[in-house]
Amino acid sequence: MMMTKITNRKTATRWQKKYDVQAPKVGDIAPDFSLLDANGQNPVRLSDFRHKKPVALIFGSFT
Amino acid sequence: MRGTVSLTDIYAKYHEQVQFLPIYIREAHPVDGWWFGGNLFTKKLMKTLAPKVAMDVHDPQTIEQRRQVAGTCETSLSYGVGTYVDEMDDAVNKSYAAWPTRLYLIDTDGVVVYAAGLGPYDFHPGKLEKAIENHL
Repeated sequence: MMMTKITNRKTATRWQKKYDVQAPKVGDIAPDFSLLDANGQNPVRLSDFRHKKPVALIFGSFT
Repeated sequence: MRGTVSLTDIYAKYHEQVQFLPIYIREAHPVDGWWFGGNLFTKKLMKTLAPKVAMDVHDPQTIEQRRQVAGTCETSLSYGVGTYVDEMDDAVNKSYAAWPTRLYLIDTDGVVVYAAGLGPYDFHPGKLEKAIENHL
């Protein structure tokens, strides 16, 4: 899969502006998703926690 | 990591009441992208502001590579909580405009109650903690 290359501040800002307009804001329903852990196991779905616990989403990488 | 409050501290304090989901997304500053390691100034800056970040990681090209880097990152940062990995289509990253880093708090109805601004400038764990305190 070809990812949009982010090689400098300009391309980074372009990427952020493109997707930030559709990102959820306070009061919006959070987009549901399902992901696997770093071992490719233990699927988790955001909506699994509905009516159970609030969820803190922490996005990041190693660099 | 900005401010005096770390995510590790927040997790330790609230993990019984809040579900923490760290999500590994595409690399911010890989060697083959917007690399900070090739410039002495940015290299020193990163080491000062975020000493645990890696400077020698290439952008994973497969989901297996991505999981491997995510696992190394999880071990290195020692948040004490399992990391989930975005797929290679960056679908979750895109839907939350999460790159390079971002914080959200979702309530039990699935509604966003805290949405940090774009990272890294609005990455403030202390604000997430305040949001948790206000929400609980």
